[in-house]
Amino acid sequence: MADEKTCSTGRILDVVDLHKSFGTLEVIKGVSFGLDHKERLVLMGPSGSGKSTLVRCLNWIEPPTSGRIVFDGQEVQAGACDIRKLREDIGMVFQQFNVFPHLTALQNVALGPIVVKKLPRADAEAEARELLAKVGLAHRADHKPGQMSGGEQQRVAIARALAMHPKLMLFDEPTSSIDVELIREVLDVMVKLADEGMTMIVVTHEMGFAKEVADRVIFMDRGLIIETGTPAEVFEHPQQERTQNFLSKVHLA
Amino acid sequence: MAIDFRLIWEKLPFLLGGAWTTFSLTCVSMVFATVAGLIVGLLNMFGGRVLGTITRVYIEAVRGTPALLLILIVYYALPRFGLNFPQFPAAAVSLAVCYAAYIAEVFRSAVESIPMGQTEAAYSLGMSRLQSLRYIILPQTFRRVLPPLANEFAALIKDTSLVAFISMEDLLFRSKMVSAATYDYFSPLVGAALIYLVMTLPIMQWSRSLEKKVD
Repeated sequence: MADEKTCSTGRILDVVDLHKSFGTLEVIKGVSFGLDHKERLVLMGPSGSGKSTLVRCLNWIEPPTSGRIVFDGQEVQAGACDIRKLREDIGMVFQQFNVFPHLTALQNVALGPIVVKKLPRADAEAEARELLAKVGLAHRADHKPGQMSGGEQQRVAIARALAMHPKLMLFDEPTSSIDVELIREVLDVMVKLADEGMTMIVVTHEMGFAKEVADRVIFMDRGLIIETGTPAEVFEHPQQERTQNFLSKVHLA
Repeated sequence: MAIDFRLIWEKLPFLLGGAWTTFSLTCVSMVFATVAGLIVGLLNMFGGRVLGTITRVYIEAVRGTPALLLILIVYYALPRFGLNFPQFPAAAVSLAVCYAAYIAEVFRSAVESIPMGQTEAAYSLGMSRLQSLRYIILPQTFRRVLPPLANEFAALIKDTSLVAFISMEDLLFRSKMVSAATYDYFSPLVGAALIYLVMTLPIMQWSRSLEKKVD
């Protein structure tokens, strides 16, 4: 309902001249980009390029040093707006999964809606079961993360983020910590989400995934966006030498 | 000098009476120390600059002075300011104040051992700091905290022997009473040692098995 309305407005996110420093080290040196509803953006770049920090700034897990972020028509400013409300609307999937080890898969997924949205436990758990089924883990609902593979833990983390009905999903290198043979099961879930129209920003080196899913690829290096375009443009005809260098290394790997 | 086991056996009920004082004092002190230690530890970590400094001063002051000093102050000095504690409460308060500082540090290191990603994940769902503590961090902390808490409990059993200085008839004090009455300065102390071990060894064993489970 509300989704349909905002959908017609097009824009979900605008980032203008974002900077982020840790002490004297400037990691992001002025990044601007926008994102439309249902758009799938892939962020690529060598390690240390600032891409992870950038997505972590978007939901204020890392507060930016300066710059503007406008999300869903609202200017995001610490103090001036409710950061927690913003985080409810932005789902995040971490490289290290960060599933809650003391809770079962079901509790992991249901906890956010129960605690933050004050949903009745029965309703939250019913929906959590549906979400676990969606990521192919219905049979693991009562298992704890310690008994699960990395691929399974990451799918629980995705279901956990989806339970909050986010308007935007951030993926921070979601498959970098997963055994090679289990990466596909995680990517499949992400492709499914993309097909359903989820707006997403994905930091990844998975070229196949980017080609299959991304509307746009942004290539970052040393804290700046140095190239942007469709996957075909960036992967097949990279304009910048640094992009070409990076891609040749990723292709080899 | 031979150990007079007959004497130990004969005086066992008397010694066990002292052991009961030791044990009950330990339990009462431990309960208060744990509650206070949790509060102090949380205030130290999340209470802001002022409360953080106050609790830090308290922790370091207590850790840097002998527990015996605290017991003597509470029992002998506080009455001058109109604060009269009978023996048992005086001992329990002193030991609780002392161990709360140690236990605060136990809680702090346990919270700090939880990876930052757990807090970030809680925040990313829209949780407040209090909610992330309540639902994510503390439940994970309690598991990690049990083995060191059991160790503190065993240490507290031994430290209660300090109350002999305010003439409380705990296990050590009573074994010395037996010595004084029988001129055997060895056997009653051996008896006391054995009773202390009966109390502390199972707890330390339990702590070790918990540690294995946590890993």
